[in-house]
Amino acid sequence: MKKRVPAALLLLLLVTSLGVLWLAPDNYAFQDRDATMAPASVRHWTGTDELGRDRTVRVAAALLIGLTGAAAAAAVTTLIAASFGLLAAFSPAWAAALLLFLGDVFLSLPWLFLLMIARSMLPLTASPLETAIATFLVLAALGWPACARAIYRDASVLRSAEWMIQGRASGLRTGQLIRLHLVPHLRPLLMPQFFICVPAFIVAEANLGALGLGVGEPMPSWGAMLLELDNSALLARSPWVYLPIVLLVVVLLLVESFATEGEANA
Amino acid sequence: MKLPMTIAVRGGRTLLLLLCAAAGTILLVRFAPGFFSDERELDANYAGVVRTDVEAENRQQSLESIAVREVKGWIHGDFGESRQYRVPVAELLGARVRISAWLLLQGIGYGWLLAVGAALPLSAVGKSSIVWGLPFTVLLAVPTAAMATACILADTGGPVLVLSLLIAAREFKFLRSLLEGAWRAPHLMQGRAQGLSGPALIRIHILPNILPQLGALTTLSIVTALGAVIPIEVIFTVPGVGQLAWAAVMNRDLPVLVAVSLLMALVVGLAGLLSTRNIPLEAT
Repeated sequence: MKKRVPAALLLLLLVTSLGVLWLAPDNYAFQDRDATMAPASVRHWTGTDELGRDRTVRVAAALLIGLTGAAAAAAVTTLIAASFGLLAAFSPAWAAALLLFLGDVFLSLPWLFLLMIARSMLPLTASPLETAIATFLVLAALGWPACARAIYRDASVLRSAEWMIQGRASGLRTGQLIRLHLVPHLRPLLMPQFFICVPAFIVAEANLGALGLGVGEPMPSWGAMLLELDNSALLARSPWVYLPIVLLVVVLLLVESFATEGEANA
Repeated sequence: MKLPMTIAVRGGRTLLLLLCAAAGTILLVRFAPGFFSDERELDANYAGVVRTDVEAENRQQSLESIAVREVKGWIHGDFGESRQYRVPVAELLGARVRISAWLLLQGIGYGWLLAVGAALPLSAVGKSSIVWGLPFTVLLAVPTAAMATACILADTGGPVLVLSLLIAAREFKFLRSLLEGAWRAPHLMQGRAQGLSGPALIRIHILPNILPQLGALTTLSIVTALGAVIPIEVIFTVPGVGQLAWAAVMNRDLPVLVAVSLLMALVVGLAGLLSTRNIPLEAT
């Protein structure tokens, strides 16, 4: 029941963003040179940035890119974590120890630092779309170790459950056991992991963007839009500069409410 | 006999983790498609010349030569020479480590004070409604970079405040649930029935029981703070390790990156060792 309100609000935000992008006369990269750093007007509802790009359109695009990218990366990372955790749980003890150690190597470095290293190693000539894909791929590729450990722990317990022994005795192969019995039982753990990853990835993308390592210009992203706050001339002209950060916090709070509920149910 | 063995195993594991972290950083950076990127590539007039330079550098930067150079640097104690500053890495790290360590210490300390200060009374009175934790939930939803930028805009606070708020927001939730569980324990009700005061209950019953979890939470705080210190130092222009790491990342300065990776892995490893000292090795 509790989920419905944030879900409805999130959906409303997504639909509004799509509507804005659909109806806007210009795309997010269009520069209106006659209206740089313009305040809110009929043509530009929330003003423009220093290059004359419409802020409403850019915020709508950033919201869609950030949310879909983070959700896709979270799905991939949950899948990797599930595969890794299950592989470790069904491997001999020495192999499981080795796999978990591999995960610990990733955990031995702060996540943002690891992300920075991985993300910065892209060629400078990468296109904005490539940088966006690479950013979310890096998030997906490096976000799994902690989640994999939790899945390994639960899968190891479930592996010796009576119904698993019964399934094995009935002649089910390991793959069938995992698919038919284990994965449905792990779903209450996987879903919160997914919902925890989404806001974490949005925040990570924003932090990377603010360090100049996120999605490349002119593609809009939360991180790049946070950089606007450094422009004091722009801040003095329009309070709408704060729109991206306010919206970002709202989106994160809405997504985090799913994670909190998921954790409570798990 | 058991204790020295446990210490040796854990120490050995931490050392192995450090080596793997360093080797992983070298592999990740060396084989990344953009390792030899040069800003001049963006200019069509220089692209051809740059390609030749890059190919020449590529020949000198084989994995073996990098590994040998790094190991030589570690043995020598200077961690090699920085690619961008052309000075020994140890020299660069020296003063910066002190600045970052002080920032981390203050940030984690104040953050914990704030989190404990809020979680302890709330858990004791059993106020678990969303409203009480809302400020921390909101803080958790603000990216570190945004929080730092907001501080600069408002001309209030600084790196310590941002780090403290981040740590407090992260730890409050865990601490509150930990303390709520501790307050509900049957032996605590018994203690209350015997007339023990609140501070006495905390000192005698609660703290000893949650100490191992607090150790694990501290490790988590250190890892969180180490990550957060990078955008904080960059935005506030604090000349610490975080800022150095960012500059090294932007300039593909491998010797500095490896040294920073080692340093961060060492801090995380030591923190992990300390937090698990009361937990049997099998459980870790």
